[in-house]
Amino acid sequence: MKIDKILVSIFQRAFKSITDEMSISLTKTTRSPILCEAKDFVTGLYDASGQMLEQTENLPILSFSLGPVCKVIIAQYGNDIHEGDVIIHNDVFSMGNQNNDVAIFKPIFYKNTLVGWAAAKGHQADIGGAVQGGYNPNATEVWQEALRIPAVKLYEKGNFRKDVWNLIFANIRLQMVQEDIKAQIGACTLGERRLKAFVEKYGQETFDSHKQALFDSTEKMMRSEISNIPNGVYEGKSMVYYDGKHKGSKFQIHAIITVKKEDIIFDFSKSSPQTKGFVNGIYTSTCSAITLTFLQMVNPNIPHNEGMIKPLKYIVPEGTILNASYPAATTFGNHLCPQVADSIFKALGPAVPERITAGWNHLLCSLFTGLHPRTGKKYVDICFLGLKGGSGAMKGDDGYDHIGMIDASGGVLDQDYEMYEQQTPHLILQHEYLCDSGGAGQWRGGLGTVTQILLRGGDTTMVVFGDGDVEPNYGLFGGKGSVLNKIELKYPKNYQGGKKLIPMSKDMVHGIPDGTKYYQVAGGGGGYGNPKKRDKLVVATDLKNEVISKEAAKNIYGLKMK
Amino acid sequence: MKYNVGIDIGGTFTDLICVSSEGKTIVHKTLSTPEDSSIGFINGIREVAEMAGQSFELFVSSIDTIVHGTTVATNALLTLKGAKTALVTTKGFRDALEMRRGIREEQYNNHYRNVAPLAPRYLRFTVDERIDAEGKVLKRFDEKDLAPIIKKIRDEQVESVAVCFMNSYKNSAHEKQALRFLRKNLKGIFVTASFEVLPSIRFYERVSTTAVSAFVGPIVAKYLDNLTNKLKSIKFKGTLLIMQSNGGVVVPDQVKKNPAVTVLSGPAAAPTAGAYYSQLLGYRNCITVDMGGTSFDAAIVIENQCVTSTEGNINRYRIALPSLDIVTIGAGGGSIGWINQGGLLQMGPQSAGALPGPVCYGRGGKIPTCTDADLILGYLNADFFAGGKLKLDKKEAEKSIKDELASKLGLSPMETAAGMYRIINSNMAQGVREISVERGYDPREFLFIVAGGAGSIHSSEICKELGIPMFLVPNVSSIFCAAGMLLGDLKHDYIRSYFTSFKNLDQKKFIAHYNEMKDEGNKALVIEEGVSPDRIALYPILDMRYVGQYHEVQLEATWEDVVNFRMEKIFDLFHKEHNRQFGYSLKEEGTELELINVRLRIVGTTERPEFQATNIKPVTAKSAIKEHREVYIPELNVMKLVPVYDGDKPIFGAKIDGPCMIEKITTSVFVSGNYNCLVDGMGSFIVYDKKTFPKGFQLKKKK
Repeated sequence: MKIDKILVSIFQRAFKSITDEMSISLTKTTRSPILCEAKDFVTGLYDASGQMLEQTENLPILSFSLGPVCKVIIAQYGNDIHEGDVIIHNDVFSMGNQNNDVAIFKPIFYKNTLVGWAAAKGHQADIGGAVQGGYNPNATEVWQEALRIPAVKLYEKGNFRKDVWNLIFANIRLQMVQEDIKAQIGACTLGERRLKAFVEKYGQETFDSHKQALFDSTEKMMRSEISNIPNGVYEGKSMVYYDGKHKGSKFQIHAIITVKKEDIIFDFSKSSPQTKGFVNGIYTSTCSAITLTFLQMVNPNIPHNEGMIKPLKYIVPEGTILNASYPAATTFGNHLCPQVADSIFKALGPAVPERITAGWNHLLCSLFTGLHPRTGKKYVDICFLGLKGGSGAMKGDDGYDHIGMIDASGGVLDQDYEMYEQQTPHLILQHEYLCDSGGAGQWRGGLGTVTQILLRGGDTTMVVFGDGDVEPNYGLFGGKGSVLNKIELKYPKNYQGGKKLIPMSKDMVHGIPDGTKYYQVAGGGGGYGNPKKRDKLVVATDLKNEVISKEAAKNIYGLKMK
Repeated sequence: MKYNVGIDIGGTFTDLICVSSEGKTIVHKTLSTPEDSSIGFINGIREVAEMAGQSFELFVSSIDTIVHGTTVATNALLTLKGAKTALVTTKGFRDALEMRRGIREEQYNNHYRNVAPLAPRYLRFTVDERIDAEGKVLKRFDEKDLAPIIKKIRDEQVESVAVCFMNSYKNSAHEKQALRFLRKNLKGIFVTASFEVLPSIRFYERVSTTAVSAFVGPIVAKYLDNLTNKLKSIKFKGTLLIMQSNGGVVVPDQVKKNPAVTVLSGPAAAPTAGAYYSQLLGYRNCITVDMGGTSFDAAIVIENQCVTSTEGNINRYRIALPSLDIVTIGAGGGSIGWINQGGLLQMGPQSAGALPGPVCYGRGGKIPTCTDADLILGYLNADFFAGGKLKLDKKEAEKSIKDELASKLGLSPMETAAGMYRIINSNMAQGVREISVERGYDPREFLFIVAGGAGSIHSSEICKELGIPMFLVPNVSSIFCAAGMLLGDLKHDYIRSYFTSFKNLDQKKFIAHYNEMKDEGNKALVIEEGVSPDRIALYPILDMRYVGQYHEVQLEATWEDVVNFRMEKIFDLFHKEHNRQFGYSLKEEGTELELINVRLRIVGTTERPEFQATNIKPVTAKSAIKEHREVYIPELNVMKLVPVYDGDKPIFGAKIDGPCMIEKITTSVFVSGNYNCLVDGMGSFIVYDKKTFPKGFQLKKKK
């Protein structure tokens, strides 16, 4: 069939508009702030064989595992896939990426033939297991973390399977999760309707051939990007600190990247073995981390479909920290993304110094639960506003201030302060950029923040998870690193003598009393290039804006002062 | 004779419409004068006076009302040429304005920078005061803390100051104190506070909107003063009204209090005009689109009301004031064609703008644009563009399409131009889908109204892609926004935050909020704008949601429901609205509801001019055929000879079969083979799908 090149462009636009529409619907209908405020979800369309047509990736880290799960479902059900089926899945040992990230798939039929899939995956507020919210620093096995859901039908040929639904939700704490799963099914229905109308309009044959042409064209774009990287084998390493079990433990992430003409291989075989605790990656979350990092090094306008990922090869052997064997605990796995990104940037730095950034701030995060005295209700809140540090600088550009972890790259938003003070009993005392937190350089790292909150209401529980409190992130080509992450509680005088408590980077603190002060530093990004070469006008402006100190301006940047 | 004049100042042209008390309409375009747009404003009036056959003096003295849409605020935000602005805020919150909640809109683009804050960090000052979430004072505000800040503001020659304190929506006492003190001690400097601009919950939204108001404030005020003086000097004695982003109009003094209300002053008039024109055809719902040189605006009208939203951004700056919901995409006559690395043809969003403009303008443009493709495809007449004022260079257009695109695609220039046409149509259809489908509306149930000189070349295809059965090209299509300005009512929006579950809602407090807003509105309308009380209407809105949700629904209620506290009825409306927007309600589950804000829109109806219509007769269109020309027929994918009708001929009531072209001095309409066209009594073109022509529709005879 002759390919109409113009129609190929229109296909790409149309697929994108469908996944965007699914995404807007999810934002507006979901309950959990992790979904509707932080947008920790992805929507996508896949063809009959599970190849990605397009995705809307609000939070990239969970995005690139939908396609692999789709292929698992197709293999599992074979001929038993029907119009009106709705399939749910979260199992990390069959291509899921994190237990809390629950996917819904809906097959799309045209004239009784399977033509594609609509899918939506979101981070659920609870997924069973030992600890509400899913982050259990004490876990050593998957069952202590979550309910496993291998692919199972919630609807079969349009008929609701109440028995299956009840079984699943009997194992999940919050009613809200049921509502949010309904919203995901709704988003898939939107996608189904629109893709079906699309195939109807152009016919099966045109759809198939032009979809393939779109993949081919996208693959060509990606290959041309890869071919701009000099051939070679590149190595980069980064460290992960503390597995939640053994104080002082550390693990290595080791990337060996081979570029050969238009192909690129990411090999992480030499990374440390898996840990005893929950600080373990899983194949698809690691592949997502690799993909999203590499995408930041190429033309940002490449369409997101199967053609884009085809030239990328991943080697992540089972049994390593990046792909733990069954039945390991793995909830922390998504948060190994910063270290995976570091190792890739470090490896490719010598080859393409103008495309990489210095180190991004690593996530260190807290989650509060407690009783809100004004409403008499329980609340759960991830302290998004406190956790977001700066990104690394790159040639020609300063890092982005307060952007947060690279796995989200500015897709996760702070709570609004006034809404926060309504919905929790706490009082925000400070949330500002931290002076001198951006790694110095000719291009400065993005700024980190300092957050102070007066915890009120009493009997508050805090779960801490993350990293970046041991090794400062790195600068490049003479640029400097940034400050460490830090979380600290200062108890009121009448409790434990008003002592300070610095939790571990994977930890749980119970019974925090009213009047405790919470203090958090989210570090900045690393700097790029010699700070002495930084434009003096820009240094002077930074000084005037008090984002660098007088001492730094003088001693590090070499600004002459009167 | 009396006149009403609408004036819409854009980047290239200043559009005018003048309607006499007898209903005679004069439409005119004159060149804008960006260095001082009031010059183009007065020039326009002078030229319209000539067209009306009157002396300038007599004409000016006969003007009742001038309604004006201005892009002064919009441009200040787009080009970042507003006032040097300072922010005074609560200790601990110096950076909220710049952080923008930590968003990076382009996640994979590490070269993407944050926008420059409207008040730079060294001009963001904090004072040690604090009010908590319940409105209780935790740390008392002390005027003395402002002394060093005032000194710095003076030293730095700041031109404008915004004040925004934490939780001031709950208790504005500290802000009021600070505002009074700053105004007293900073004479000659524009000072505003968040309780005046947007007294509602959500700190980021409030601080951002207040900063926008301060940033554009002095420029807007200066512009309006200059304009009022110029009008005084030509002895204009009528009323000057300014179009707001919410689709209503106000007197200049009201704008000066909160200049942020004018950031969408221009485009807001299109749906306002749309509401009027769709009513003429018996429609209650319409979609208006306006295709300009660089952008394509789409808006929606439901039940004769323009749809407003509080989710707006301009140039990535958040403005949470109620504004007409307008989707803008980068698709216009100047949108450039290019080929991506994968070898696929793309259109826009980059634009050649007015300068250098499309290649065919011969002003130095080298990159092929949408207009160049339209010319190659025969939709534009090289010798009759803007009535022949601008000769188009077809050869150069063809050459650039061939060299830049066609040779790389392995297609002929014509095939490539056809591709450019189809892709930009598909982009614009996506914009229309965003304003309709993504808001829960089916575009096929709407009348589609096309504004802008080039929009009607593309509307056949946009409508076909979306399945829209009928579109209207109004007689005033080329100056549609100026016409809309004459049709706007006086509108004021008020808001109070009242965050509570309905279970704990205090009836007295609730009603008191509404009465307070009503009094404020009455004061503005009756005392300051001279509206007679019998022309005032009240539209209360409640921001509410199910307990546990984050995003609220803005629910419209009636004044009677609100002051009589008819909560059951309001709940019922809410469940229905939630179901319409999101496909489900939780009425059966009995889920609790909560209130976030109460809002009141107060409207004073203006006297609308009567546009004159001629009685339609069963005339044939044949007499209006001026030539036959080859144009591109998309459904057949070929060039074909079709008749070209002179759209300026008075063939009211005629039916014209597609495919054809209809040309006016200011507008070209392409009617594809799928459509036919009727000319109504005002000279508007009603283009309808041959197969699905709405049953029972017929042109109205003049009463």
